[in-house]
Amino acid sequence: MSEAVVNKAQVSSTSCSYCGAVLSGGHFCGTCDRIQPVASSADYFAFIGLPRKLRLDEAELEKSFYALSRQFHPDYFMSASEAERRASMERSSMLNDAYRTLRDRVARAEYLLSLEGYKAAEKKAPPDLLEEVFELNMQIEELKAAKKMADEDEIAEAAASLEDALAGLRAKLVEIDERLFAQFEQWDSVFENKSASGEKKIVLDRMSALLSHRSYIRNLVRDITEVL
Amino acid sequence: MPVIELSMSGLPKSGRVVGIDLGTTNSLVAFMGEKGPEVVRDESGNALVPSIVYFDDNEDRLLVGEEARDRLITEPRKAIYSVKRFMGKGSADVQEDLSAVPFQIAPDSEQVIGFQMGDRVFTPPEISAFILRDLKRRASKFFGEEVTQAVITVPAYFNDAQRQATKDAGHLAGLEVLRIVNEPTAASLAYGIDHRDEAIVAVYDLGGGTFDISILKLKDGIFEVLATNGDTHLGGDDIDNRLITLIIEELEQGPFKGAAREPVIFQAIRKLAIRAKHELSASDHASLEIYSPGQPGGEYNREITRNEFAALISDIVERTLGPCKQALKDAGLNPEQIDEVVMVGGSTRIPLVRNKVRDLFKREPHVELNPDEVVALGAAIQADVLGGGRRDLLLLDVTPLSLGIETMGGVVAKIINRNSTIPASASEMFTTWVDNQTGIDVHVLQGEREMVADCRSLAKFTLKGIPPQPAGLPRIEVRFLIDANGILTVSARDHRTGQEQSIEVKPSYGLTDEQIEKMLLDSFEFAEEDLRKRQLVEARNEAETVIRAAERALAEHATRLIDKNEREAIARALGELRLALTGEDYVLVREKVKALDDASHHLAEIIMDGAVLAALKDRKASEVAEG
Repeated sequence: MSEAVVNKAQVSSTSCSYCGAVLSGGHFCGTCDRIQPVASSADYFAFIGLPRKLRLDEAELEKSFYALSRQFHPDYFMSASEAERRASMERSSMLNDAYRTLRDRVARAEYLLSLEGYKAAEKKAPPDLLEEVFELNMQIEELKAAKKMADEDEIAEAAASLEDALAGLRAKLVEIDERLFAQFEQWDSVFENKSASGEKKIVLDRMSALLSHRSYIRNLVRDITEVL
Repeated sequence: MPVIELSMSGLPKSGRVVGIDLGTTNSLVAFMGEKGPEVVRDESGNALVPSIVYFDDNEDRLLVGEEARDRLITEPRKAIYSVKRFMGKGSADVQEDLSAVPFQIAPDSEQVIGFQMGDRVFTPPEISAFILRDLKRRASKFFGEEVTQAVITVPAYFNDAQRQATKDAGHLAGLEVLRIVNEPTAASLAYGIDHRDEAIVAVYDLGGGTFDISILKLKDGIFEVLATNGDTHLGGDDIDNRLITLIIEELEQGPFKGAAREPVIFQAIRKLAIRAKHELSASDHASLEIYSPGQPGGEYNREITRNEFAALISDIVERTLGPCKQALKDAGLNPEQIDEVVMVGGSTRIPLVRNKVRDLFKREPHVELNPDEVVALGAAIQADVLGGGRRDLLLLDVTPLSLGIETMGGVVAKIINRNSTIPASASEMFTTWVDNQTGIDVHVLQGEREMVADCRSLAKFTLKGIPPQPAGLPRIEVRFLIDANGILTVSARDHRTGQEQSIEVKPSYGLTDEQIEKMLLDSFEFAEEDLRKRQLVEARNEAETVIRAAERALAEHATRLIDKNEREAIARALGELRLALTGEDYVLVREKVKALDDASHHLAEIIMDGAVLAALKDRKASEVAEG
């Protein structure tokens, strides 16, 4: 876990705000044991004490979450100084935000991309679906029109073909997720081997593309479900 | 027994934190005892204080609980009940509720409801504060020291404004509210404290006015809420209303035509309906009888069966199932994955409710806990944690509703999703639209819907004092933090300068700080009156103890131990104290108690010395015997 040690330096500022001791980078001062405010540069992986890898043991993550909750929670700082109470609140909320993000595989990948300087994935249609998407949008409009006219036959026909399409899109989502999670292994090995930045970028680009396809299809699924 | 008892000169402040269940129908207070959480009971053994406040404008008389409930029947215009339904709401929110209660609403009730009681207007936090103060007094009396810190429970599905209103009520009652805890979560604490195995627990809480469902994971002393859902407008009151409507409709066809909605008759009907509801939980039929001797044929008498009742309320009970399914979905669980179902709230005594819950979760729900007390007991456990009493338990609760901000076109952008563990935070970057713009308006909302109009407005903020710059250049980072009470705080920072940004907050619902300050002053008036009465009662009790002790000492020892002058001084002090007791001046009573104390001090010392000597003698004898 050498990466974690390196990352820890970002979790807090450099000296204790109470006793002035030099901080080793933990959540608490090593000298006076008081809880420290969160540095703005802290990232979720480092905060929980994890390397910036995508495959993680969810049971272990939960264990860390519970253990850190027991250390930070405002319940245990009711009679502490105002600054410590604030630090406890900051650390608890950051821990909760971090846990929520990291325990979900997709959110974890999106977060990693944002850490690596990628912007939030724009919704982009996968190239192999472009024609289908065009067709689907037509069908959605047709169904809406049929509903307006209360044309039962038209409604049934349009709905049936949209139902079919929906099943196809859901299958596509499963496929995209599989491809995305396959990239997790790639990323972890690139990360562990401290590979050249070019290799890193290849993996990150792939994940970014998959995520933007994913969110596009999810939107489409939502739109279709709404009209149905 | 020595003559002098330590006088209780004002209660010492206690470090004790109590747990309070501020309910729609009943409220109660609990604490952590030696062997576990306990509820505070009065002399007659009652723990529940009916959440009813009576106020008589002419006499400035305020009654809470049982006494207020008695007046509800005779003077319905002067009593407020089910005030919890009005917490954190404006008049537009509660039209339906208002049609079911005979309360008069004051003008200017858009942001905070005001109940008109004679010349005075009370807001829901003030009415709740009267109830809380009664509980505070009970607890203080019970401990013999003043209780100033409390944990207060609220329905899990309460929004920000409703939570804030509850906190305000505590503040008005002179309590430091250490934490607002969700009722089902508190109940899970009381349930889970003895069940330490890992388990997924669903808490189904159907109270007097609100419904909550919470799904928790219990593991190693951590109580992690996975999902919560509910309806803050669904409870025993709605069930009562069905019966009330039935009775009124039938009465209107008979001799009570036109009279059934008279407040006095209405309250009698309400009482009858509630009693029948209770009976139908134990028996398969109940009788509804109203008899008015003055009226010819003034009789109403009918029987209602449990099945009839079930049919009457089945859609209400059905409405609780939607939130249950949503909570399961949000937690990513099937009903089969729930290990235990815990029933909380008085309405879960209704057999139909138990049946529906059993059918949904496919298991027998736990009904062994007293559904009226379990929330307060859980609150007492959390109070103990916050008071530093224990660190083995930890509650990780969630926010029940998504938090969002208004964006272009009246659409709400979610920034913190529902069921996020709290404390939870989110940061958003704001900028200007036109050159040299110095302020940015931010509108914060709570709810699950897409459009601003369908969500609950929490507050509007103005980010002020932005230095004039070209449009889009300023970068103001606004941080939204939902604290462990589920209450939002907002701070802003200019991203370029790192300076804190000033924010002007306009809460959409609820009281401003100035209003609360004013109310604190107002309630002081009542407090003075209450305090005076309490002081008098305490001084009288104390006086009686001292009188009894002095009389006994005089009778048993005085002729032997002290001279005539001293005897006479004691007798005189006794006489003066008795005289003071005929009046209502507690200061005078205190004074005379002290005078009697002083006069009999010497005698007490002699008696004490004698007792000590006697004790020493006994001990020596026994030591000798042992040696």
